[in-house]
Amino acid sequence: MTSANQLNEIRKRIEAKFTDAFLDGLMEGMDIAFGPVGNVLLPGFKDNIKGYDAKYLFTAGNGVSSSAIFKDGKMSTNSGAIKDWDTRVSFSTPAALRDFLLSKDQDILNSILKNEVAVDGNLAMIYRFGFISRDLMGRLGIGQG
Amino acid sequence: MSGSHATLPAVETILLWTGKRGVGARRFASPYVGGFFEKTFRKGIAMAKITFPKTGLSLDHIKINGDVEQMKIDYFAASPEVDIERAELLTDYFLANGLFRRDRITALDAAKAYRHILKNRKPVVRHTFGYKKIKGQKGMVRLDLRDKSPFAGSTTSKSKGVILYPEWLALTLWPELHTMENRAANPFQLSGEDADTLNSKVFPAWINFNIMDLTRNKVYGAGEKSSPLLKLHDYLVFFLVSKFQCISHTIPDFKKALGVGLRGVIDEAKTKQAKAGGEEQKDFYQAMIEGMTGIIEYSHSLADEAARLAINAHDSEKDELSEIAGIYRNVPENPATTFREGLTTIWLCWIACHLENSNTGLSLGRLDQLLYPLYRDDVDAGRLTPEKAVELVCHLWLKIGDHVPSIPESGEQLFGGTGSNQAITLGGVDENGEDAVNDLTYVMLRATELMMLRDPNLNCRYHPEKSSREYLERICEVNVNTRATPAMHNDRAIIDAMMKKGESEKQARDYGVVGCVEPTSAGRGYMATGAILLNLASALEMTLFNGRHRHTGDAQIGPKTGDPAKFTSYLQFRSAFETQARWLMKQAVTLNNIAGGIHQKYHPTPILSTLFEGPMEKGVDLVFAGAERNSSGVAIIGFADTADCLSAVEKKVYGDQSLTWDDLMDALEKNYKGYEALQTELRNPAKTPKYGNEDSLADQNAAFIAEMLDDEFGKSPHYRGAGIHYRVGYWTMTSHAGYGRLTKALPNGRGDRENFTSGITPVSGETPGLTKTLNSVASVPSRFLSSGVAFNIKYTPYQSMVVDGENEEAIRAKMIKSFADSVAGYFQGDGNGSKGGVEIQFNITDEKIFRDAQNNPDKYVDLLVRVSGYTAYFIDLNPQMQNEIIERTEYDLFTCKAVTYNL
Repeated sequence: MTSANQLNEIRKRIEAKFTDAFLDGLMEGMDIAFGPVGNVLLPGFKDNIKGYDAKYLFTAGNGVSSSAIFKDGKMSTNSGAIKDWDTRVSFSTPAALRDFLLSKDQDILNSILKNEVAVDGNLAMIYRFGFISRDLMGRLGIGQG
Repeated sequence: MSGSHATLPAVETILLWTGKRGVGARRFASPYVGGFFEKTFRKGIAMAKITFPKTGLSLDHIKINGDVEQMKIDYFAASPEVDIERAELLTDYFLANGLFRRDRITALDAAKAYRHILKNRKPVVRHTFGYKKIKGQKGMVRLDLRDKSPFAGSTTSKSKGVILYPEWLALTLWPELHTMENRAANPFQLSGEDADTLNSKVFPAWINFNIMDLTRNKVYGAGEKSSPLLKLHDYLVFFLVSKFQCISHTIPDFKKALGVGLRGVIDEAKTKQAKAGGEEQKDFYQAMIEGMTGIIEYSHSLADEAARLAINAHDSEKDELSEIAGIYRNVPENPATTFREGLTTIWLCWIACHLENSNTGLSLGRLDQLLYPLYRDDVDAGRLTPEKAVELVCHLWLKIGDHVPSIPESGEQLFGGTGSNQAITLGGVDENGEDAVNDLTYVMLRATELMMLRDPNLNCRYHPEKSSREYLERICEVNVNTRATPAMHNDRAIIDAMMKKGESEKQARDYGVVGCVEPTSAGRGYMATGAILLNLASALEMTLFNGRHRHTGDAQIGPKTGDPAKFTSYLQFRSAFETQARWLMKQAVTLNNIAGGIHQKYHPTPILSTLFEGPMEKGVDLVFAGAERNSSGVAIIGFADTADCLSAVEKKVYGDQSLTWDDLMDALEKNYKGYEALQTELRNPAKTPKYGNEDSLADQNAAFIAEMLDDEFGKSPHYRGAGIHYRVGYWTMTSHAGYGRLTKALPNGRGDRENFTSGITPVSGETPGLTKTLNSVASVPSRFLSSGVAFNIKYTPYQSMVVDGENEEAIRAKMIKSFADSVAGYFQGDGNGSKGGVEIQFNITDEKIFRDAQNNPDKYVDLLVRVSGYTAYFIDLNPQMQNEIIERTEYDLFTCKAVTYNL
């Protein structure tokens, strides 16, 4: 598979879940982007988490949780809750989380204003996660209008 | 006919003040505090005189010169550029010295870090290029600049910079690092290289060390990461604590810097240090020395750079650069001996204040008073003309506007279009209670009129018994010509209110305006006036829903005060409201006090403390109550809407009993759909009592709220120590639009998501008569309004009354006279103990122009408007805020009636 095809594959997998399973798609995309394939196809993207040590818990309105753990320049994702999170993001719908992280003309504050997303723990970490998400989407040309 | 000429010994005063006169004068070392310096400086303040003829106070023969004009054009063309210099230097210093691992940052740590920044930052004497946005294009293009400023140095390395404070809220820009050039509103330029530096080095270093997250950790406590108090704050709809963003909202004291120079200040600190008892206090004085030395080093590096540029410059530019080099080698290290040196001293100290503290409401104080001795001496000695003085002030005004806040994109929705709210105060009375207006007051008014800038935010003090009619008409004229500035403040009401809060008469008489509209004893009162923004309508909402809020769903937020449908009297309802309001106030104060404790631990302010009355004498930093006077300020949002809701319930539900609770709650639930007649009735001042119409029931409810808020905040504990309390102000910036968006329909007929009314202003469209409106607002007792008010009034511009160009000048003159009459009446009070209205500010633009500006923004880049406190450029505001200004009640001064009144 060529590099272009591999990128398209990542893009498709994220876009397929962009509406109803946004977080799953994003996590999957990040998993690939921070992995060996991403090293080749998205040079520099991995620098975003160099030396970064943080645990994120995402909890949807339906109670389903997933987590993202950054450590030693790597990212791992898990379904289900973790207890020792640094930042917890609670969101009403996948669309609310997507807007919270990616919306073109808005930012995180705007989603909080709409009371669809709440953050506990460290707030600055979610700004960093927002940057990483946008950077990935920008590199893939997704959802940035 | 001339005004009263200066007969006081200005020259002698300056001689005494500085110890020596003329360019190159060196420092005067003396025991100045409370003695010689103070006396001579006070003498300078007391010698205010006017030499301009009464008919020539407008100085309209003075025009903007070519260089200033070009710089003004460039200023408006340039987009703000994010500047990482400060953030990177600070981060490097913290990393190199292990400060990120510390659990406390001392004043000495901080001072050394700021000195590192001042010493190592790029000395910019001439900005040569910036960036501008081209409509319809992505990104920005280069803009060549023709910088001819006599004032070297800038708050950032850019000509119009966005200062980044990673210890405050700069990290909120993180998600936007690659996209902020293409924001829909107020885009910022940021190079890819700088974005990478922020993402890889600067922001990660502060991710656990910024004031916001340090405060959150403190609130959480050990082992916790969630807190009801923080949730309440994060909902935004209840209150905001601004300590995550700034200490700011205060006025430094420039007197010492002007009078003895920073070398004299350092000498004083050394003397105090030698006598200090403990190591901590010795270190504090060392911190003062480090901070002032840093400013001197910065001025010398600017002098060197100017001298270097002068080598290859030609003609007048060579002379100008050489003069800059000479001045910057002399001041602020030594006493200022000329007007230009005085302006330079203030400018350099101002830069240093902004390198230490975020650009949120730091204000400059009474510049016409501070600088008048130097101005007078220069003019009397033939070294300066009013024309040259206006030019210098125009240049300084441009410099003051050289930076903008780092607001994230959607922050524009709450604070859209704001500058840094750097207030300057002119006029008023002196410490002896006599008229202090002087020639420099008029020089600065003329410069303001010529420049029409958002920053500085100009405020004029007026005393009903001491200020002249000519002065009042002049400040009205400047409003007519600029459309929005200056704001006007009533000395009599404000001085009285401040004295009731503990200021001495002399301290109160020397107040300056901070940020938007907040009065503060200049240079000695650390009042942190914007500490809390409280949405009062949320307390009403919780009253209606037994402690719940429709924005937060089923969550029980406030105390259970009962189902209002079961209340049997209005007083029962009002009592429930009071319970909710007092509970909400306590929550806001609790969080602010915790955040204040974090400031004490991590953000001492050695530079600002040195430039302040109190810390030198006490050996204590401002954040630990080192200032002469202390307090924190609360700004109330939704005042008029809440008052009108109380009145509607009192009259309709319990008074004439024409409305049942069931119907009212159903109407609110349905946003008055199906209840249109009720909504119209609730909005009609002829049918429902409305604040702003001299309706006693409505005005009593407004006064009740003001008294209750003053009482609760006035007795709330304060983190800086016993005996320090909170003060209440009524100014809203753009928050009344932002909070309005979060709030559903209310009992005063206001529909879902509609704007609240700004400041202390009555609800738009519901006050048909100007006189009644002015009287009604003036009737809110000023003693409860000690942290200032923003009362917005819109007058029809005279141009709209001119038909075919006939009698234009006569109509203009008549408008200014009527304008002055309206202000004088508002400030006069009713003679029954009222001190009159506190503050008033204007928009002199009609709907037609606003609508045209919405459709053709490029034609109106400098269309200045008053928001609620600060001035802004109309086209920078978000659409909701633009519409709020358009919808404000507009009055025809000739009929004193609202021209947009449709009920």
